[in-house]
Amino acid sequence: MTDPASQPLDETDQAILDQMRALHVLLDPPPPDLDERVRFAIALENIDVEVARLVEDMLVGSGSRGAERTRMITFDGESRTIIVTMVDTADGRVRIDGRLAPAAQLRVELRSAGTAPDAPSTSKTVVSDDAGRFAFDAVDHGLVQLVVHPIDDGDATSVVTPSLVL
Amino acid sequence: MTARPTLMPCRGTVPRQKSNRQHTAGRSLMPVSTDTTPSAEADHDDRRTRLARCLERARGGELAALDEVVRELNPLLWNVARAQSLTVEEAADVVQTTWLELLRRLHEIRAPQALAAWLVTATRREAWRVRNRRRQNTSEGTDVLGSVPDPDPEPLERLVADERDRVLWRHLERLPERCRTLLRIVAQVERPDYSMVAEAMGMPHGSIGPTRGRCLAKLRESLLADPGWSMS
Repeated sequence: MTDPASQPLDETDQAILDQMRALHVLLDPPPPDLDERVRFAIALENIDVEVARLVEDMLVGSGSRGAERTRMITFDGESRTIIVTMVDTADGRVRIDGRLAPAAQLRVELRSAGTAPDAPSTSKTVVSDDAGRFAFDAVDHGLVQLVVHPIDDGDATSVVTPSLVL
Repeated sequence: MTARPTLMPCRGTVPRQKSNRQHTAGRSLMPVSTDTTPSAEADHDDRRTRLARCLERARGGELAALDEVVRELNPLLWNVARAQSLTVEEAADVVQTTWLELLRRLHEIRAPQALAAWLVTATRREAWRVRNRRRQNTSEGTDVLGSVPDPDPEPLERLVADERDRVLWRHLERLPERCRTLLRIVAQVERPDYSMVAEAMGMPHGSIGPTRGRCLAKLRESLLADPGWSMS
């Protein structure tokens, strides 16, 4: 008696695995924008980056209508934590207020993917104040990412967040 | 007009001899059997050569070359994350974070095969962090968007039209969870990569690869004994 587990893989095995792959595509497909989110997030000018992971994403405030709700997201990196709150504005855009901890004056870049499928990404940069605070008003909905750069491009690495959909 | 080149940057004529020579070592691990058609094997070689070239270009500073690697390997990462009981949103974040982490390590990873293994290991590590954090947050009673469980899955009958697929699913559900996970992940890659990916999943050496391994042997046996499942 030979152990079936020690037999070489054959066509039947391949057929089973092919069927499994197709079945999982059917039952649990990745979000349709996953490739795009990843490609946008990694299309950075400098790849020597520290990743600030999304550790908390919550809705605060008591408004029952979506427009009154505030979304608060915390990204945690080895060297710095980035906390942002996002509020929908009356003109259909988003205001982002953020804070860096530990606080420092740094260049904070907001990258936005274009709204059209092949539109180029855009970016806005502000400088955080002594308390680590920064803000972007009137941000369009869509895919965005924060990159925190050192003030002078010395040897310090940038801190990046994953992209998120506003 | 478009920001992103629509041409796939790493495609092109593959110098055949080079690709053959490059993969001789990998192939010698494969079973000497006739079930792998030469064209399937050539496809695999082409794919691997293509991914190797993408990696090379990305290391050389042409980051757009990674787009193709992302498209090829994202399904694998997605399945690894989901198999670690993450929600859809958590899994999507974990996949992104893993790719971002790769950027800093790009210069350390030479072969596409090593890349798949590195990505699988990193995705598992990220998933573990997320589950850990979720456990802490839940105990504090915070309303965390990411930790809201997915709604109950719809009945299999409504989602899966093909009776043969339903049979497979039912047999899968009878396997131990670690076997289900292993087979789900391994099904995402091509045969020469089975063992390396299985090991990156923390499975013992020989769980699948040149030989079938226990998990696949068990599933195969129960499927072949079921009249509702047939090869064609």
